[in-house]
Amino acid sequence: MRVFILLLTLLAFSSAENYTFLVQPYSKEMELEAKIIAEIATSSVREKIELFIPHMSEMEEKIYSRYFKLSSKCETANFVFVNKAVENEILCDNTNRLFFTNNYRKLLSDEKYYGALFWNKSRPNIVFIKKRLEKRAIELPKTFDQFIENF
Amino acid sequence: MKIILLFGLYVSLLLSDSLDSLLKEYESTSDNSLHTVNEKIGHVIIYSQKEIRLMQYSKLNDILKELPLFNVNTNRFGLTNYSLTGSKTTTSGFFRFFINDHEISSGYDQSTSLSWGDLPLDFVDHVEIYYGESSFSFGNETGIYFVRIYTKSPIKENSSELNAMFTSKGSNSQSITHSSSFENGWSYLMFLNQEKVKQTAVYKNQKINSNGHKQYLYVDANNETTNINMGYTDVSKNNYTGYSLDAIPSSGKNLSKDFFIDITHSFLEDKSLKANLSVDINDRSYEEENTDAGFYIVPIGFTFPRHFNEDLRFIKTNAYLSKSINFENNALIAALNVKNKTYDVQNRESNQNSAIGQYNTFDEETTSSLLLQDNYKLTDTLILVANAKLDHYTRSGYLEDTSETLLRVGAIYTPTENFGFKSFYTQTALAPSFYNIDYAAQSNPNLKSQQYNFYTLEAVYTQGNSKFGVTFDHVEIEDFLYLTPIGFINVDHKIKTDGFLFDYEYSFSDRDKLRLNYYTSTLSETINNATKGGYIKYMGGYQKFDYFTSLIYRNGYQYLDLDIPDSFDVSLGLTYHVTKDLSYSIKANNILDKSTKSLFSEGIGGANFALDDNDRSVTFSFRWVF
Repeated sequence: MRVFILLLTLLAFSSAENYTFLVQPYSKEMELEAKIIAEIATSSVREKIELFIPHMSEMEEKIYSRYFKLSSKCETANFVFVNKAVENEILCDNTNRLFFTNNYRKLLSDEKYYGALFWNKSRPNIVFIKKRLEKRAIELPKTFDQFIENF
Repeated sequence: MKIILLFGLYVSLLLSDSLDSLLKEYESTSDNSLHTVNEKIGHVIIYSQKEIRLMQYSKLNDILKELPLFNVNTNRFGLTNYSLTGSKTTTSGFFRFFINDHEISSGYDQSTSLSWGDLPLDFVDHVEIYYGESSFSFGNETGIYFVRIYTKSPIKENSSELNAMFTSKGSNSQSITHSSSFENGWSYLMFLNQEKVKQTAVYKNQKINSNGHKQYLYVDANNETTNINMGYTDVSKNNYTGYSLDAIPSSGKNLSKDFFIDITHSFLEDKSLKANLSVDINDRSYEEENTDAGFYIVPIGFTFPRHFNEDLRFIKTNAYLSKSINFENNALIAALNVKNKTYDVQNRESNQNSAIGQYNTFDEETTSSLLLQDNYKLTDTLILVANAKLDHYTRSGYLEDTSETLLRVGAIYTPTENFGFKSFYTQTALAPSFYNIDYAAQSNPNLKSQQYNFYTLEAVYTQGNSKFGVTFDHVEIEDFLYLTPIGFINVDHKIKTDGFLFDYEYSFSDRDKLRLNYYTSTLSETINNATKGGYIKYMGGYQKFDYFTSLIYRNGYQYLDLDIPDSFDVSLGLTYHVTKDLSYSIKANNILDKSTKSLFSEGIGGANFALDDNDRSVTFSFRWVF
């Protein structure tokens, strides 16, 4: 899976940055976000990923389905990426699945999440909380050490 | 075997930092600011966050002054004046400016110069400039060039930023931007700025100036479905040549307080129903004294007062509702827009008349509009675009109610990944503003809308790291509103202009880029501004340094007894990034001191003269993010 993501990334880099007209809805940022989430998910979960994104937009469905098998229900997913403001009621529990968010404050306040991809000072950041990784027995690759924080 | 091992090592090296490189790529892609571009509404030039930073554009006018087929000058009040190539219009009705979803032009003369002309870009993410008709898509007032200013995203900033700048000419500016996001999906960005502006010129050995102070406040609060924007400016500037017959007033000031609130909410799961409400309140005052020669103000006539002042209030209220529907290969948008504008004279007096009051009975206008747009995907490579808009103007006073039908058809054709063609034909009408009617020639005060017919063709070719573009435009204007010495008239013949633009871009790397363009144009009338121009600019970076250099060219021309030379505005700059969050910049502006010039005249039939638009100066600035 990681090699597949890498090959897709290389392919994207090798194509010219220049475009004539952007007639299709612009999706490159979401494409990169999906690649990052795929890299994180495949490093965190051993089995095949089934991803659930609450209130998934058409564009998200199109982009994320290139990297994941998508799940229409929280219950059948093993990885949940919460990237919108959602009521907790629509989310299932986190016993058999990992929860990741794009909101740093949500990560700090809700034990359910083990990590977040968020922006700060115009730069994207990734944070995993060490205690929550240990609690879930997640072993991330050494290269992820820089993203792990010990709160 | 060695090859396999080397390949394995290469892959493992790439894998080891793939998350890091993905994050860097994510950041860099975001800096390209392409997520809001809409190719279907016109021919677009994008000033991305990356380019704004590398080129040290600190004010909106830094960008506008290099735009092709466009002239930026200074008017008699020392305010920036935008005009189409070859001409020098006295205000800027052709141009529409938006901050996010809100159009910021004045309710009085449709110009943005007084309140928003020197807008600092510290809180701006990117700027899109479209050659096309914005009102088809946004329901706003008509115009043929529109500038969309997008503020930084509070979710992406999520920090505070301090910016300070001062110039060798004595101008300075300080601003603070703060943004934060919450768990519930709401986020906000707040921007505060204060600046001191120094702009002086010497005429007949006497200094005239438009020195002044400006304060800006901007708040953007949004979640996934709602966007609330608020803006406030407080401007106080001296009046440059003012109305004075000798072009040297004894004293004078332009004061403006401008406030707006704009709320957009999207309904339904797919956000296809959108409602927008906005209110603008603008208090504007003007005073001038000329004890020597007096002055001439068109609506007052040939009485030549020596003191004049006025306090005016303009209120603009706008409601917009749109529904988009996608079916088969069509993307349809239907919208309704209602705009009400009022003009209240709170005080207007001269030393000769203490109660001048309203110049005429036209003090309120309501515009009701119905908009329809369809983008039809005929094949994978060809998209057809069609727009129709009906505007009905209900006016108070002597001016008649009118209706206008606006149309646009176009096509975007991309036969291969490297070739693209885009073409539009547009019929639109620009209605007279309160200012036009105040200053209408008394012989015929029933001014009509200006009728515009124009077509444009753009071709783009990409090859490797190069991008070539050519654009051709042909514009025909009937009933053009022209300010004569006795007031505005509708010109009695058709005005024609053609323009040709060549554009080239080469990316040496993600950070280093060369851009150049050249344009030439023709105008069927007497030329009183540049008709040819272009720029060449290089921007890039090495380790902790960013640098740029640029040359903006405008051709010289002759007007009456004035011979205006070519203009070569050369600038260069350097930024040193002490850390990722702290940087210092230095920029030398107009090094050759060959600025564009603006034309002025003394009184009625008096001497003509030209003054420089930009000074030679050095700017120092710093940026700190925390």
